Amino acid sequence: MRKQTPTSQPPGTTPAARTLAVIDIGASAMRLRIAEIGADGEVRALESLQHAVHLGKDTFTTGRIQTETVEECVKILKGFRRIMTEYGVTQPDQIRAVATSAVREAENRESVLDRLYMSTQINVEAIEGTEENRLTYIAIQDALRGEKRLKKGKAIIVDIGGGSTELLLLEEGCVTFAHSFRLGALRIRETLETYRAPTDRVRAVLDQHIRRVVDQLRHTVPVKQVEAMVAVSGDAQFAASLLSPSWASDRLVSLELKGFCELADKLATVPVDDLVRQYRIPYQEAETLGPALLVCEQLARVFAAKSILVPKASLRDGLIQEMVAGSTWTEEFAVQAIYSAVTLGKKYSFDRRHAEHVAELSAQMFRALLAEHKLDPRYELLLRIAALLHEIGNYVSDRSHHKHSMYLILNSDLFGLRRKDIALIALTARYHRRATPQPYHEEYQALDRDSRIAVAKLAAILRVADALERSHLPEQRAVSFAREKNQFVATVHDVQDLTLERLALKEKGNMFEEVFGVPVLLRAARAAKSESAHG
Amino acid sequence: MAKPRKEPLFFNRELSWLEFNRRVLEEAMDPTVPLLERVKFLSISSSNLDEFFMVRVGGLQQLLDEGKTRFDPSGLSTVRQLSIIRRRTHQMVADQYGCLLHELEVLLAEAEIRRLHVQNLRPQQREYVEQLFEGDIYPVLAPIAIESSATFPLLRGLALNLAVRLKPAQDSPRKQRYAVVAVPRQFARLIPVPATEGFQYVLIEDVIGAFVEKLFPGEPVAEWVPFRITRNADMSVREDQANDLLAQMREVLQARRHSACVRLEVSDTATYLMLKFLKGALQVREESVSRVPGPIDLSAYAALPRMVAYEELKDQPWSPQPSPQVTPNDSMFDVIARKDVLLVHPYESFEPVVRLINQAADDPDVLAIKQILYRTSENSPIVAALARAAGKGKHVTAVVELKARFDEARNIEWAKELELAGVQVIYGLKWLKTHAKVCIIVRREPGDVRRYCHFGTGNYNEITATLYSDIGLMTCNEDFGVDATAFFNSITGYSQPIAYRKLEAAPLGLRAKLLDLIESEIQRRKQGQKALIMAKINSLVDPQIIQTLYKASQAGVKIQLNVRGICSLRPGVRGLSENISVVSIVDRFLEHARVLYFHHGGESLVFISSADWMPRNLDRRVELLVPVEDRDHQQRLIAMLNLCFEDTAKVRTLMPDGGYVRAPSSGQGKPVRFQEAMYRLGREAAQRAQTDRYTVFEPQRPASAAS
Repeated sequence: MRKQTPTSQPPGTTPAARTLAVIDIGASAMRLRIAEIGADGEVRALESLQHAVHLGKDTFTTGRIQTETVEECVKILKGFRRIMTEYGVTQPDQIRAVATSAVREAENRESVLDRLYMSTQINVEAIEGTEENRLTYIAIQDALRGEKRLKKGKAIIVDIGGGSTELLLLEEGCVTFAHSFRLGALRIRETLETYRAPTDRVRAVLDQHIRRVVDQLRHTVPVKQVEAMVAVSGDAQFAASLLSPSWASDRLVSLELKGFCELADKLATVPVDDLVRQYRIPYQEAETLGPALLVCEQLARVFAAKSILVPKASLRDGLIQEMVAGSTWTEEFAVQAIYSAVTLGKKYSFDRRHAEHVAELSAQMFRALLAEHKLDPRYELLLRIAALLHEIGNYVSDRSHHKHSMYLILNSDLFGLRRKDIALIALTARYHRRATPQPYHEEYQALDRDSRIAVAKLAAILRVADALERSHLPEQRAVSFAREKNQFVATVHDVQDLTLERLALKEKGNMFEEVFGVPVLLRAARAAKSESAHG
Repeated sequence: MAKPRKEPLFFNRELSWLEFNRRVLEEAMDPTVPLLERVKFLSISSSNLDEFFMVRVGGLQQLLDEGKTRFDPSGLSTVRQLSIIRRRTHQMVADQYGCLLHELEVLLAEAEIRRLHVQNLRPQQREYVEQLFEGDIYPVLAPIAIESSATFPLLRGLALNLAVRLKPAQDSPRKQRYAVVAVPRQFARLIPVPATEGFQYVLIEDVIGAFVEKLFPGEPVAEWVPFRITRNADMSVREDQANDLLAQMREVLQARRHSACVRLEVSDTATYLMLKFLKGALQVREESVSRVPGPIDLSAYAALPRMVAYEELKDQPWSPQPSPQVTPNDSMFDVIARKDVLLVHPYESFEPVVRLINQAADDPDVLAIKQILYRTSENSPIVAALARAAGKGKHVTAVVELKARFDEARNIEWAKELELAGVQVIYGLKWLKTHAKVCIIVRREPGDVRRYCHFGTGNYNEITATLYSDIGLMTCNEDFGVDATAFFNSITGYSQPIAYRKLEAAPLGLRAKLLDLIESEIQRRKQGQKALIMAKINSLVDPQIIQTLYKASQAGVKIQLNVRGICSLRPGVRGLSENISVVSIVDRFLEHARVLYFHHGGESLVFISSADWMPRNLDRRVELLVPVEDRDHQQRLIAMLNLCFEDTAKVRTLMPDGGYVRAPSSGQGKPVRFQEAMYRLGREAAQRAQTDRYTVFEPQRPASAAS
């Protein structure tokens, strides 16, 4: 169905690097980055544009985005569109545009996004906080590589935006906690303005306000103390450029907490107009600089971070990395997502060995059935996670544990995944046994058609994988899968007998056949010369 | 330390400008300059003065009329400035005519080039002129009779007219009356007449005057005199109210045609009656009247050297040489990809710049061209290339500065043409004039997208590039490409300005960067290091920059400035500026390049720039400061800056009292002449490159074999 079309090239020339564009619509600015991806995956930024917008001001004070603001966005996007066209970036698969908290939280979000699409043909997607988490994590991978401090011990990664703050906890290099807080520098600035605090009290009000939110936040994060804090925001980069003027962009800069705090304290009291004049930064950046640095400072203090590490990275870097990865997740993210599923599994005392075996078999089947299911490679990760978590419902009760699994998953956060992805995982887990999807299954009906089909396909695979693991063996068996003429064959190597598995498969009904149109045949391949087939 | 000083810290900018124009006039008076070049300098000094009256005197006069008198940094009030200006310009005009009538015309006559009066023509010459009048001129004349001063016609500024006083016919009861005849602009001012030897010409106003009675049958002409007026042109679009800049700009052009008269030039043959009439009708004050003892508007003499063949009376041509860095007929993309190219015009040809844009227009891999156009030539090949590129589907963006003074009308014209061709045209920025000169070409190459940039100190005008000294830098360096596109995105409004890697731009960071660079020399000097600043600019007026330069001088930083025009800095004053020396060169080519050098502890920072050091350039214009990083290029520019100070022929040194003096002639050996030396260097380099090419055998392969 989907053909992999390389960017059109005149014949006879060396294939050019791929050019793509990402747009990030934030609370106070819209930003465009056009980048070129070399054959080796090297990213080279060609253009960086930014324009101030009032989205955050609108949403955080009135709850909706004003018409004038939308028109302003349309104008800016049209300009972006022109610059993209200059670089031949015109195809939807070359462009990814996302909007964060200011649009996400606006009451009129859908109509705003429709208006943008209608007048610019750019499909802007309002992403969730958890996705921001994922993008932040992916964005800083390059900068963090080889950073030993983060491989051992604990560290937090914070991205303080205009409307939300993403916080990730890293333990021994693994993401053990991720959350998106409704704490943002512009939000704070707006709150401050509604207080109408007198100038000499501004600082005190600011401190008080930030301390209160940071305190709430501290109780959510399951650690008391970290070694280091990674600060991923434009404001932090600005502070770093002042504190460490020789900072080379490809390096992570490490700032002493003391110097950072002094600078934050100093800048927080400088009036916005003076910041603009003195440091030649755009007005919208000057507005949020003080609050953002103070939040950073407070976070570093409450978690007793010894140093603040600042990478030159942003949401846009994460977006670009994901586009480079194409229709798959980046490897770094997949590892962390699986890690977070395992963490969730542990919380509900899952049979880790069994879960991992099933996950591995499911993934193998997913790949073997590519031609049949025609799903994006991304679904492999969702299937893997569903397989890992399919039995966590046992923690509640083993009666109808598949339903409990679904509820537990639906009400959990999995690192970096959208609600929609999580629903897909939950339903896949739910259908690993018993009833197949039915019209009166509420959660199933809530999905869109594509997702319903995906769930059916994934659950069908999961059932087979689970059946193959019926014996809960200590070692994973070698199984190979192949599509034969009228059947799908799972050949289990080095076994004598598959009676139990066949029984299990039968017990799980013929969902596979219903979905894929062919039955599954279990074939035992005995050691060495194995060719014979059971009837 | 700061004890009160009698002398002000700054020179007044208007008076400094008048000093500059005097230096131009001195070239006309210099017997060592070829005769027809002297005529050219005289005409330049005249057209310079016209612009000065329109813009500067006009502006001051307007301030005064609006009752807004103020003091300039040198402590002069508006009234006082105007009165000094009037005095000095009267003297300057007297000197101009002294030079023309008593020196140049005498020498021209010796060379058989003569201006004749119609009454002195020989019969067949007179017949020729009369035929010309009857056949060509008379039909387009439109005399306007003046019944009262209320019916006085709207006169075009700077255009020549005849005022005619008519006696009533013998038996008529009417009073004497006046008429105005505009001299038609479609005819040359200097009209050659058949001559047996040499070159002889008459002036068109003389021809019309001689036959003027034919326009007023029955009314005897009592007198006729040529005159012209200069209008205040210091007005601009109220951009806060301008929704449509193009339309508003047209209105300004319209308004300029009605604006106040700041100068009335009239032949000194005019009678008291005639003068009284003109002053009254034009509402001109006595001090604004200039009675001239010869032809009005000497800028017309610019045509004379072109009309006559006498090569021995002209400069030896110094034609632009091909740059040794640029191989003929090669792709400019290949040339630039090999190494950055630095062009020093007019010693080196502007052709590579035109070639680059032409090749970009025709290259199938070029995606986009972005260019700023401030002033350009008529029938500009660059404008044509941009239109062609747009026609071929490339994304072409042109920032056309409509506000380029006196070029507005022409700019509006071709801006429209470009738009029709499919170019995205942007009329500069609100409030700011876009003065930076940059061209960016985005090209898809095997493997990646590359940006080729040209940065210049002069306009994209291949004609003036043979007359003005300017620097151009071509590069495909990534950092410059990123900066140039970011700069462009900020002008076109697609993005807010973002921090640059290499460039600095006015009005945002350029001033601060200059101050930083000067401060850094001060700090280094204080720590005992050598500190040196050299700069070549056109004007130095900005008080903050000057104050910082004073501070640097006081710290012991050596500062050598080559300021062609206005310089408000007072050099060589003990305790203030004794380490600063200022020179100015007025020679064959207009010194126009802005080149800066900072010693920076031996690291040598060299920049080229579009900006002069004036408040308007640093605060109200979009300008660029571009570092020159290639060591060879740096050395070339440093050598050039040093060479200015070695000039003993055309250089004048600014004195602490504001006067300029020539270098004392050393008496021994040939004097050093900067522009000549630059030309020689350029030619030698071109010749060397040519011989090198002859000694390297390069087989010519058919095009299909080329990779």
